[in-house]
Amino acid sequence: MTTYSQVPPAVAEERVGPDANAKVGGTRRRIARRGGAPLFDSSERTLMSGFERRKRSVRFTLFAINALLLIVLLVAGLGPIIWLAKSAITPTQDTLRTPMEFFPGGTAWDNLWKAWVDVKISTQFLNTIWVAVGSWLVQMLVATTGGFALAILKPAYAKVVNALIIGTLLVPSVVLLVPLYLTILNPPLIGHSLINTFWAVWLPAGASAFNVVLMSRFMGGLPSEIFEAARVDGAGPFRLFWSLALPMSKPILGVVSIFAVLAAWKDYLWPLLVLRDPAIQPLSVRLPTLQQAIELDVYLAALAISTLIPIAIFLIFQRLILRGAGLGGAIKG
Amino acid sequence: MKSLRYKLGAAGTAAVLAVTLAACSGSGSDTDPATSGATGGSSAEPITLRVVSLIPGSDQAAFDAFDAQVAQFEAANPDIKIKSEEYEWTGPTFTAQLAGGTLPDVFTIPFTDGLTLIENGQLADITADFNKLDYADTFNPNVLAQVQDANGNVFGVPTAAYGSALHYNRALFEQAGLDPNSPPTTWDEVRADAKTISDKLGVAGFAQMAASNTGGWQLTVATYARGGRMEVENGGAVTVTADNEGTLKALQYLHDLRWDDNSMGADFLLDWGTVNQGFGAGQIGMYTSGSDIYTNLIQAQGMNPADYGATVIPLDGADSGTLGGGTIAAVNVKADDAHKAAAVRWMDFYYMQKLINKDAAVLDAKTLNESDQAVGVPALPIFDKATFDESRVWVKDYINVDQDHVSFFNDGIGAQALVPEPKAHTQELYAALDVVVQAVLTDKNADYTSMLKDVNKQIQSLIDAD
Amino acid sequence: MSSTTSRQRVTVVTRLTRWITGGGLSTLTFLLPLLLIFGIFSWWPILRAGVMSFQETNLVTSQWVGFDNFVKVFHDPSFFIAVKNTAYFALLALVFGYPVPLIGAVLISEVRRLKGLYTALAYLPVVVPPVVAVLLWKFFYSGSATGVFNTVLGWVGIGPQPWIQDAHMAMPSLVLAATWGAAGGTVIIYLAALTSVPPELYDAAEVDGAGIWRKLWNVTMPQLRGVLFITLILQIIGTAQVFLEPFLFTGGGPANATLTILLLIYRYAFQNSLGGDYGAATALSLMLAAFLAILSLVYFQATKRWSTS
Repeated sequence: MTTYSQVPPAVAEERVGPDANAKVGGTRRRIARRGGAPLFDSSERTLMSGFERRKRSVRFTLFAINALLLIVLLVAGLGPIIWLAKSAITPTQDTLRTPMEFFPGGTAWDNLWKAWVDVKISTQFLNTIWVAVGSWLVQMLVATTGGFALAILKPAYAKVVNALIIGTLLVPSVVLLVPLYLTILNPPLIGHSLINTFWAVWLPAGASAFNVVLMSRFMGGLPSEIFEAARVDGAGPFRLFWSLALPMSKPILGVVSIFAVLAAWKDYLWPLLVLRDPAIQPLSVRLPTLQQAIELDVYLAALAISTLIPIAIFLIFQRLILRGAGLGGAIKG
Repeated sequence: MKSLRYKLGAAGTAAVLAVTLAACSGSGSDTDPATSGATGGSSAEPITLRVVSLIPGSDQAAFDAFDAQVAQFEAANPDIKIKSEEYEWTGPTFTAQLAGGTLPDVFTIPFTDGLTLIENGQLADITADFNKLDYADTFNPNVLAQVQDANGNVFGVPTAAYGSALHYNRALFEQAGLDPNSPPTTWDEVRADAKTISDKLGVAGFAQMAASNTGGWQLTVATYARGGRMEVENGGAVTVTADNEGTLKALQYLHDLRWDDNSMGADFLLDWGTVNQGFGAGQIGMYTSGSDIYTNLIQAQGMNPADYGATVIPLDGADSGTLGGGTIAAVNVKADDAHKAAAVRWMDFYYMQKLINKDAAVLDAKTLNESDQAVGVPALPIFDKATFDESRVWVKDYINVDQDHVSFFNDGIGAQALVPEPKAHTQELYAALDVVVQAVLTDKNADYTSMLKDVNKQIQSLIDAD
Repeated sequence: MSSTTSRQRVTVVTRLTRWITGGGLSTLTFLLPLLLIFGIFSWWPILRAGVMSFQETNLVTSQWVGFDNFVKVFHDPSFFIAVKNTAYFALLALVFGYPVPLIGAVLISEVRRLKGLYTALAYLPVVVPPVVAVLLWKFFYSGSATGVFNTVLGWVGIGPQPWIQDAHMAMPSLVLAATWGAAGGTVIIYLAALTSVPPELYDAAEVDGAGIWRKLWNVTMPQLRGVLFITLILQIIGTAQVFLEPFLFTGGGPANATLTILLLIYRYAFQNSLGGDYGAATALSLMLAAFLAILSLVYFQATKRWSTS
């Protein structure tokens, strides 16, 4: 069977537009002639064509599949989260005995209060924010300055640095675990251990090759004429960076920032190792040990509180996140 | 010009990297400063002593009681300032802190690890300061042996000793129609009661810890109770005997309760914290653990004190005994003399005085009682039984643990032989035994005999390599 | 273009000055954060891992022991158990987690209304912090008859299952939970790839009379080939390093049924309260890294012939 990887030239030339006289696909021509934009522009279409969609059998099947898909997604994607929200305000015994019922014994809204105040989840919540902000700052600093230098200033040794950075992408993070831990115990240039300080989480976070590559690729794609013009006007590299490169990089900065914050929120193993004092532990490290120390309903409330911010960030920045997450899809083969 | 810029730029980068690398390789482990503030300061300036307080997750009242005692100590010792931190003896904590120089001056460790740390030279020698204490030679010799090296030098102060107990939920007993004032005294009775509870109430009648090294720990308890031993010492050479009769009997017992009676509930990967939690929530009828868990059950797990009951573990056969353990307060090996002396004074005040001095005991009990902390938890004597009994008489007005509920333990423990934990590579032994216990509880056809033989080989090779 | 004679007369100081004024110093300044951070927290630890794997250390002193660490790890019975379990996990994750996102993505890409809702729902589990997800699922997996999943099973008349309490069910349970949290990300990647399929290809296929299935096989799949190949190897590399699920769900149990390589590394390094075996831990991590590197090389060589140009 032929596979279609090369667009036959004849078809490629004929792009259906609002006023095109298409030679391909009779239906489409008919739609076009009805005046105005066609129902399904060839440039927008996916696997199924407009023609197929209008067949009754297809429409019915498609509807059924979509409905089923929606139900599956609701149950699988939303279900556990809804359950968590419900159980966060349900008393322990009800959750243990009848976990799937809705408030048979009434609600316990004070679980949330207890988690926040008595168990002091608020402390770990703030710690998580602290960790996220600090990691974000360090990542931004390293990626923007480094990316700028490699892409715009382009020193001759850029190739070596680039190779070293891409090299770290090939090394699985597990290799770093133990030696990085020992480095934090005895960091050079600093003299004393960084264990139990936020720096132990902030600084290594900056060593993200992914960020640097993204930034330098993006900045390298910026029109060089602007920089040339600025140089001619006598702008030094700091001006170039601050007034030109950074403002123009806002889109990529946004994507990198969101993912940096989300990653910091989710990080577990590394903070577990280096932040031993519960007073500075982020939520992800504290929650597992908390289970044995408090009652179940307060514990579930704590879990629910920890999901609030990431879900909120997701809902607000949905488009940005989904576009960034799909970046990999644009790269084929 | 380009080639020049290249050279200089490359040199610059190389210089940065070289400095970094040199600093990395140059920084050995000798850059750690002394752990606390002023070293050998003048007597006018108070030295800061970093001590451990309570395990994380303890409730606020417990911390308040601790702070009150700190205030008392500082008032009596104006030249010492106490700085406390929450502390729990877990995996990476100790070595990381020791290497990183953030280990507190005074911290607590279990008996299990004390001797190994002493051998490794990771605890401070406090013999001189220790001998200045007037009760230094009244310690129970078995207990003191846990903090001494081969030459009798002292490296810590034993602060608590416990035996193993069979804990049971009086409320569940009543609901199942059993008499809470007549707890089981043999293993068969335990089995029968467990079946009754699980059949009638649908909860686990008997539970066994199995994870995070507690599986091996409690299996050793069960082994000792049946006359077996995990390790045998013969003139300095240690042989691992995990497949002894006692262990085999214990595992068969677990197998029967789990698969024939189905009286062990549905959750088998329990560790110290989760089994306490299940027990406190009324999901477990009986289990064995250290005799000192009352505090955790009432405070952290919110158990109703009236439901708690403790009795001795049934002993079966010759050579049977109960596994003993305890806690040591030790001093950071990097502390200087001034801090060591201050440390011993703190340990004397906070851990020891309430055991030997009437006023201190009463004050301690009063403070704890007022903040709703447990007073009168079952314990074993650090000195001798007479001293222990006397200390209980002093504070009898403040005891809030119902002594009737734990009388079965208190009365019976005196008659039981106290057997110390296996000495060689205890942690690894317990971890290896965890696997066997988990296998028995989750796989009906687990061949535990051959698994125990594998444990023998595994731990023996560790011992032989020493 | 300076002549050779004039260059020879230039001193080092002048060269340095020219370099500084030529912007070399400022460039280096810009690169300083990156060089310092990467140097101290990435490049140096990587080198150190190699060094440590040949040493025995207790953080205070170290001594060279050659290949002893590697031999020790290789002879550890837990090593083979961990390798077996990790391979099992990766295989199950491929079976559950590889085709499902693809099917989901294809279906979602055909949705006309509320596509955003579908996409958001699919990605939502990815946003939930993994620790919360695991702790939540741990609760779902409670083995008692009143556990969440067991209650649901009870609705359709199936008896309570032991889930993670059973040596045989434990690993599939872990994979299910892990897939729940990760599938959404893959769906989004596939969706993006699907939208970049040139629509003219579908037109051309229809001209030739292709129906829905034929278009799927002969247009969509070949176009996705590149992405599919990449996500396959990425998934294998990712699942080979699974740590969180076995650590938080079962601690490697029951009876080491869920002990993975990463968990074994953690045990070597951090489990013993009296000091870990850092040499063995780094040796094992290097063994894993080498294996993954070789696997990737072989993979890319083998798929070179088949990737789309």
